[in-house]
Amino acid sequence: MSSMLSAGAHNESNVEVHKYYGGTVIGATFLALLFQVFLHKYGRWAELIDLPLLVTIYFGVSKRNPVSGMFLGALIGILQDALGHDGPIGMCGIAKTIIGYMASSVGAKIDTEHPASRFGLVFILFHLHQAILAVTERALLNQPARFFTPRLLLDSVITAATGVLLFSLLDRLRRQS
Amino acid sequence: MVGIFSRHRSLALLASVVLAQLLLLAFQIKRDHDIRLIRYWAVGIMSPVERGGTWGFSSIRGIWTGYIDLHNARKENQQLRAELGELQLRNRELESQANEAQRLSAMLSFHEAHPEAPILAAQVIGASADSASHTLFINRGTRDHIHNNMAVVTPDGVVGKIVEAFPSTSQVLLINDRESGVGALFAASRTHGVVKGSGDPDPRLDYIVNDEKVKPGDVLLTSGDDRIFPKGLLIGTVIDSKPALPFQLIHVQPAARLDRLEDVLVLLSQQEFEPKKTGEASVPLIPDAPPEPSASATDLSAATAAAAGAKPLAANANAAPTAAAPSASSTKPNDSAAKPHAAAPGQNPPVAAKPAAVARQ
Repeated sequence: MSSMLSAGAHNESNVEVHKYYGGTVIGATFLALLFQVFLHKYGRWAELIDLPLLVTIYFGVSKRNPVSGMFLGALIGILQDALGHDGPIGMCGIAKTIIGYMASSVGAKIDTEHPASRFGLVFILFHLHQAILAVTERALLNQPARFFTPRLLLDSVITAATGVLLFSLLDRLRRQS
Repeated sequence: MVGIFSRHRSLALLASVVLAQLLLLAFQIKRDHDIRLIRYWAVGIMSPVERGGTWGFSSIRGIWTGYIDLHNARKENQQLRAELGELQLRNRELESQANEAQRLSAMLSFHEAHPEAPILAAQVIGASADSASHTLFINRGTRDHIHNNMAVVTPDGVVGKIVEAFPSTSQVLLINDRESGVGALFAASRTHGVVKGSGDPDPRLDYIVNDEKVKPGDVLLTSGDDRIFPKGLLIGTVIDSKPALPFQLIHVQPAARLDRLEDVLVLLSQQEFEPKKTGEASVPLIPDAPPEPSASATDLSAATAAAAGAKPLAANANAAPTAAAPSASSTKPNDSAAKPHAAAPGQNPPVAAKPAAVARQ
């Protein structure tokens, strides 16, 4: 799995590709899912933050490889769906697959080290993630999902702010080249 | 294709992974009637292909059967036409046989209904060469004990009488011939008259005064006054009537189809038929027993017969009307001996104009 995720790590572009200590990706993914489930026990405020999405975006941007970012997003999304109790498996999987791919593609082209750019990137990708979910729900589940609500705006701001903090923490796990 | 895939490997992988997850979702999601989404998709994808395939196959088959495989159609068509001709011919034969069987059945029914009357069945073998006369020839003659002035009928009604009897054939004078006359009476009113031929297909009823109420549909029976036709046989019905001088002009529709006779019955005696029994509806020659005529009419008729001193008719088949007895059947337009006397206004014409009374057995 780790080999699959590290596939394409040698990016042809001149942007720096970060490497992490062994087990960092898997551990961060596991912890993100664990916290997401764990925090839900303590109230609906936990829904304001989408930790698995932040992990997907972060490692996608850092690896700067669309294939690995895509597979990481697919893995995290499917696990997130599996931990749910009523939704079909694959809804978040599709959304996070696309987000992982796009984050890797964007990370290979622009600087994502600055907190402001990180905030903006997370903000945009959050809404893109919600839009993909809404489209999927409308198309497959035939449910009237909304593309944009004030609540989603609040979620996106909080998630982006959390992402800036989380990304700086995860930066410490980088292996120095 | 391979080059495109290599250049966009990551995009192709993305599409593959998304598609795989879509399929995973489709396996889980159920729509209406608990049908999985993957089945909806599968049917949605396959249905147009199936429709297209069916249309293509039917088109090819239509072209084959409609154009290419028609090399034997002409021959088959000719065979079918020949078969159709044979079957039509056979059908006509069967229809003819069925009609003949129906006619014979009616005649048999008539004979069975009146076993007391000596009847001889005959076939029409010819008609008159003169268009002005309404006669025909039957295949029975003197060898079959047929003599002149015997009544000829069908189960439908009166046809005419024998005017010439040859050894093996006989000539029949139809009731619509100019020379013909049949003693008649109305079934309802019992008013007497004479049905005479006029040269037209439909005969006329003569000697009915203008005061007599006659309406279309009134039934005419033989009166027996002519000593040829037994009393009570159906002649026909009134078509129309209009006042004229000295008598009404009444057209009669003969009950027998005089223009398409094939089989007839010759009455070998003038024996009166018994009224039709219940359940013999298929024998219309003898209609339901008419209401009993008034006592005065019956008495007057008997009295007239006694005064005329007519000889009683024998029930024997060879019995023929006496020459001395004037008969309506020998009536000619100018035959004053046979023509009833003109009735005075307000007088009952059948009684007053009755040509001859007939004493019955």
